Amino acid sequence: MKRSHFFSRNFLAAGLAAVVAALPFLLYAAERAEPARGGGGEPAHIGGGQPAHIAPASRPAPVQRVNHGTVRHVEPPAPVERRAPPSIRPPNRVPPRAFRPGDPQVDVHRDWGWRHFSYGRRWSALPSGCFTIVVGGASFYCGDGVFYQPVDGGYQEVYPPDGAVLPELPDGAVEIDGPDQTYYYVDGAFYVEVGNGYQIVQAPIGVIVPELPPGAAQLIINGQVEYQFNGTNYLPVFVNGVTQYQSVAP
Amino acid sequence: MNGFDRILGRTKLALRLIAIVGLMAGLHAPSARAADTTTKPAVDPSCDKWLKRMSDYLAQAQSFSVNAEIWQDVNLASGQQVQAGRNITLQVRRPNLFHAEMHSTRHHRELYYDGKSITLVNRDQNFYGTIPAPASMDEAMDTAIERFGIAMPLEDLVVSDPYQSAMKKIVSGTDIGPVTVLGTPCEHLAFSLGSVDWQVWVEDGARPVPRKIVFTYKDEENSPQFIALFSHWDFEGKLPDFLFNFEPPPGASKIGVAAIKAQNDAQKKEGK
Repeated sequence: MKRSHFFSRNFLAAGLAAVVAALPFLLYAAERAEPARGGGGEPAHIGGGQPAHIAPASRPAPVQRVNHGTVRHVEPPAPVERRAPPSIRPPNRVPPRAFRPGDPQVDVHRDWGWRHFSYGRRWSALPSGCFTIVVGGASFYCGDGVFYQPVDGGYQEVYPPDGAVLPELPDGAVEIDGPDQTYYYVDGAFYVEVGNGYQIVQAPIGVIVPELPPGAAQLIINGQVEYQFNGTNYLPVFVNGVTQYQSVAP
Repeated sequence: MNGFDRILGRTKLALRLIAIVGLMAGLHAPSARAADTTTKPAVDPSCDKWLKRMSDYLAQAQSFSVNAEIWQDVNLASGQQVQAGRNITLQVRRPNLFHAEMHSTRHHRELYYDGKSITLVNRDQNFYGTIPAPASMDEAMDTAIERFGIAMPLEDLVVSDPYQSAMKKIVSGTDIGPVTVLGTPCEHLAFSLGSVDWQVWVEDGARPVPRKIVFTYKDEENSPQFIALFSHWDFEGKLPDFLFNFEPPPGASKIGVAAIKAQNDAQKKEGK
C-alpha cells in the first residue's frame, strides 16, 4: 500500500516534469501552426492539399500600400494609426463615406462625385434639392456642396464659405490626413467633422491633395508653376512617383 | 527517514529535474526557431528550377525591352471593387540604364534612370523632377522606393539577380503545371510571400520569360490583385543612348520630388 502510494506520487511528479518539459515545444508548434499573416510567417500550405485555415477572430486590420507589383519591395508600409472618431460625433451618425487614396499609379475613372464647381458660373434656376444656409450674416443656397448666390435674376456659383456647416458630406469626399485632424476634401473645399455635421474650413497649409480644385488658375511665381484657388496656392510635386498638389501660403 | 521525508525528497528531486529539463527545452526552442529562419524556403524542386531558369535568362540579357498590360483592382469609396488598366513599355540596358513609359487613359508618365539620377516625367502637364541615384540599378531601386516611395515599374525583371532577390521574400512555392497564356505554352508557378501570393507564368521554350504575373494582396481590403500580361519581349533590338537620357521638352517645368520624410514633415507643419 505504502509502495503503491510512493509510486503514484513519483508518477505524478514525472508526469508533471514531462508536461513542463514539453511545454516550450508545444508552444513553438502552436506558433508554427499559426497561419501566415503580416509581413512574413509560414506558408499556408504547399502542394495543393488542404489549405491552412485562418481564424477570422484575430485578423489584423488591412494595410494600404502605395506601390504594388513588386516582390523585391513587397512589405506593407508602416501601419498608420487611424484616428478614433471625434468625440463630438453623435452615436447615431454613420461614419463619413470618403475615399482614402491608395496606390497613386492606378488610373481609374474614379467618379469623385464632385459637381465640378466653377466660380462665377451662372444658372437661371437653382438645382433641385438646394437649401438656404446663412454664414456670417450672408445667405447662400447650397446643393450637394456647391454654393450659389442670387445675381441678375439668376444664381451664380461662389466659393464655399468658411464656417458653413452641412449635415452630410457631399459625394466624392477624399480623406486627407492633417497633423491634428482628418479633413475631407471635395471640389476644392476642406471639411472637418463637427457635432452637427461637417464644417467648411480654410484650406490647411502643407497638406497634399491628389487632385487640383476644379478651375484652379495656373500662375508662374519666380519661374515656378503654382495653382490658385480661393486664396490658397497649390504647388505641384511628385509624391510616390506621381504629380500631386501641396497647399502653400500665397 | 520516514515515508513523508522520503516522498519530500523524491518530490525535490523531481522538481530539480523539471527545472533542468524545462531550462534545456526553453533554450532549445529559440535556437530551433533561429535555425528555422535560415533554412531555405519551402519551394518544390521543379518550381525552383523554373524560377531560376527564368531569372538567369533575364539576368544574363544585356539589354531587353518588353510591353506589359497591367490590370489592378481598386476599392472605390462605395465598396465596389473595379479594375483599372495601364500599359508599360520597359527598356533596360544593363548594368545601369532604365526607361519606362506608362500610359493610361488619363495619364502619360515616364521614368528614366541613367546611372546617376532618376527623372520622373508627367507628359500631360509637362512636369519633370529629378533625384540623385546610386550608380547601381539595384541600389537605385531601393533608394527610389525607400526614400521617395517610387517603385520602379516591374523592377523584379530588372534587378541584377532576380532569383536571389525573389528568394529573399519567398516563403513557399509550388509548380502548378503547364498552361497556356494567350496561346503561349507556359509553366505556372505559385509562391507565397507571407501575406501576399505571387504567381508567374514562365514561357516553356528556349526563351523562358514571364508571360503573366499576378500578385494577390491578402493583407489589403478585399484582397486586390495586380495582374501583368507581357508581350513583345525583345532581346535583340538596339537600345540607343538617347532612349535613356531625358531632355526636357520645350516649356517643361521642373517640380519637386517629395521625399517620404518631407511628406510626413509637411503634414506635421500644417496649422503651425
